[in-house]
Amino acid sequence: MVLALVRCAVVPPPATPEEALARTPVSDSNAIVALVEAARTDTDGGNFIKAAAALERALRIEPRNPRLWHELAQLKLKEGDYVQAASMAARSNTWAGTDKMLRAANWRLIGEARRSTGDEAGARAAFDKADALTR
Amino acid sequence: MKLNWPAWRRRFPFWRILRLTLLAALLLVALFALYLDWRVSEEFSGRRWAMPARVYARALELFPGARLTPTMLTQELQLLGYKEGFDGAEPARFERRGDVIELVTRAFPFWDGAQPARALRLAFRGGKIETLRERGNDFPVDLVRLDPLLIGGIYPAHNEDRVLVKFDEVPRDLVNALLAIEDRQFYSHIGVDPRGVARATVATLSGKGVQGGSTLTQQLVKNFYLTPERTLRRKVTEMVMALLLELHYDKQEILEAYVNEIYLGQDRNRAIHGFGLAAHHYFGKPLQRLTLAESALLVGMVKGPSLYDPHRHPQRALERRNLVLAEMRELGHINAEQFLRAKASPLGVAEKPGVGTSPHPAFLDLVRRQLRQDYDESDIRSEGLKIFTTLDPHVQRAAERALVTRLASLDAARKGTPPLEGAIVVTSTENGEVQALVGGRDVRYEGFNRALDAHRPVGSLLKPAIYLTALAEPARYTLVTPLLDERFVWKSRGTEDWEPRNYDRKFHGRVPLRTALAESYNVSSARLGTELGIERVLGTVRRLGIERPLPPFAATLLGAADLTPLEVTRMYQTLASGGFRVPPRAIREVLTSDGQPLKRYGLSVEQAFEPAPVYLLTAALQGVVRDGTAQGLKQYVSPELNVAGKTGTTDELRDAWFAGFTGDRLAVVWLGYDDNRPSRLTGASGAMPVWGDMMAPLTHEPLVLPQPENIELVAVDPQTGLRAGAGCINAVELPFITGSAPTAREPCAAPPAPTLSPEKKSKSWWQRLFE
Repeated sequence: MVLALVRCAVVPPPATPEEALARTPVSDSNAIVALVEAARTDTDGGNFIKAAAALERALRIEPRNPRLWHELAQLKLKEGDYVQAASMAARSNTWAGTDKMLRAANWRLIGEARRSTGDEAGARAAFDKADALTR
Repeated sequence: MKLNWPAWRRRFPFWRILRLTLLAALLLVALFALYLDWRVSEEFSGRRWAMPARVYARALELFPGARLTPTMLTQELQLLGYKEGFDGAEPARFERRGDVIELVTRAFPFWDGAQPARALRLAFRGGKIETLRERGNDFPVDLVRLDPLLIGGIYPAHNEDRVLVKFDEVPRDLVNALLAIEDRQFYSHIGVDPRGVARATVATLSGKGVQGGSTLTQQLVKNFYLTPERTLRRKVTEMVMALLLELHYDKQEILEAYVNEIYLGQDRNRAIHGFGLAAHHYFGKPLQRLTLAESALLVGMVKGPSLYDPHRHPQRALERRNLVLAEMRELGHINAEQFLRAKASPLGVAEKPGVGTSPHPAFLDLVRRQLRQDYDESDIRSEGLKIFTTLDPHVQRAAERALVTRLASLDAARKGTPPLEGAIVVTSTENGEVQALVGGRDVRYEGFNRALDAHRPVGSLLKPAIYLTALAEPARYTLVTPLLDERFVWKSRGTEDWEPRNYDRKFHGRVPLRTALAESYNVSSARLGTELGIERVLGTVRRLGIERPLPPFAATLLGAADLTPLEVTRMYQTLASGGFRVPPRAIREVLTSDGQPLKRYGLSVEQAFEPAPVYLLTAALQGVVRDGTAQGLKQYVSPELNVAGKTGTTDELRDAWFAGFTGDRLAVVWLGYDDNRPSRLTGASGAMPVWGDMMAPLTHEPLVLPQPENIELVAVDPQTGLRAGAGCINAVELPFITGSAPTAREPCAAPPAPTLSPEKKSKSWWQRLFE
């Protein structure tokens, strides 16, 4: 039992891009972190409108933070607004630079959004891009 | 009902007729009374004041690291009516000592919840908030908002404005003062005061006219239901209605209605009704917090709001206030000490210029138009909505000042012309929020809004659409592709031949693509546009966000098409946000009158172009400012900002345009005459200086573009467009879509070419990110 715990701690399971993102803070600004936390709580509670308001408030403070654009894209995906979800993930990618995990997560999100609108070929292309980034 | 008349009376028809007449008269009176009774109860109990929509500017966010100077914060606090110096824990107070500001905020019900008053201590350094702590205990604070500035209202008919208050919110002093001076018998009379009636009757009969003797109830009836004419009939009606009102409602209900209804002055075109608004208007605070002297002043004004206007007639107002205080003293409402202290206090009215319905009517106009897409005009004007907008008061002020000052000096140099006009739109590059909007040089004038409604030819402002169309084809066009700037005649069936000319009336031979844009050469641009196809370029214009169909002619390429400044903003917004269409928005949220969220206007982005061509075009637009037609801009703003922009000038110098963006702000400026006469200004001589004057006092993020993955920087010779190398002196590093860079080498370039001196020394975008 103890051994198993130790092994878990030493050998992390292969991370998905989303898991990798969850381990790094969204911003080094406490204000942004607090707003994102509030937005996640609101999202879990089904209050998408309030969550979007908090994320947009955060984006006004850090407009070039690709993680915030990604959060907003995730929210739009949950809301079922697939066009906005894909566009916001693409916007996140323009600011994501060398952050491959974030870019992979964005492409996966774009893939899901495309699949939901019936664009299966587009979805597959997006998932391929995500795989290429995590390989 | 059957009447059983006694037999003897039947013999006297005279009595019968009299009786019937009386009966009919009685019936009429009864009917009239019933009608009045119906009116009184119907209108009073169903009484809902038409409440204007209140419009707020953006709330200033305070957090460590925020770009803000102590001076900017002080200005904001002064705009919000915060007073210098503390008074216990009293909100809306502040103190500045050098780079430290302490303040107590006002509580405010925001969209996402109420924020209580907070006592804070801010330390500034290097143009930023360095620390933000609670005042007193130094507990760190992450994020807090100032209450937003009220920038106007959208009003019911007659621009009637009020802030509703409940009876128990009205200070005791104010009620006492009101009853002492206006109606001492209020709690004992039945709506009319018999002695008052007697006095009024005597006055009326002795020919002095119908006057006086009004109880509060009668005054309320007069304000509520009746026209201001002075006739006996009206006086009688007023009395009957006052009696009826007292029959149906208790004293407290009547007093509450009175307190909210009474007219208390005029602010330009806006009518101040009720003590709730009067407290804000004259003293800048809520009714509950009025002092005794302040209450007495407002009560004194009931008799004649313009006669006793404390701004225009301070002495008269002071005497009237002191009379009210004396009456209160006489009735024992206040003791001698209270009386003397209140009497000795100054008027204390807030000094603020009248603003009428709004100091920024052009922006309000945009707000109203965006609201009208979702709400009925009557709801906007009467439901007391709270509207939170995107206006940034600092930016708005800088825009107004820049336009007004520049136009005044331009006009001073010309004789016998009508006033030059202009318009400005400023937005945030990332989210499209409209930070400022100026609709003309008379910025307080609620009239023709040029920013939204002036359709003017845009000249070279459309050229970026040509170049973007070209740069999206990396196999054919790069920033250094040579374009031909030689005589060009466009023949099209059904239209006259079109022969564009350059501004300098010369031809420039072979010019690199980026130079043709930087110098705004018409001939090479027209050649490029027609080579690409007019329809394709117009397709790019549509994708950039111009919804209006433009004439499908070659001349359109060079801007022979009319657009409004807001439409131009829409187009450049797409460029400024990296190829994503972000519609300009003026509203963030709408709340109901009781603070419930009603609607949110969320951010919307839509990818319209691949990032790489937009990146190349933006680099070229930065060239316009660095060494092209807008190079004069460096006299106004630092070259380090790397502004991207484009000048626009139209035929015979009628219109002068400049559209440009930094890393976080986009602004479009138009100048010209309303009657379309030549303004004798170019984009660079007329509009660009206004842009510069406006942007200079504001803080900016430099424009540092995120480099798309399929962009590479390659050193080339700017003249020949050939690949350069270590041995080449004049080489510059330019962006190319991967694989599109020239392969032919300059003789000086020894393969493989190492990196050379970059054209600009700014840090890469990701270095900035991690700063």
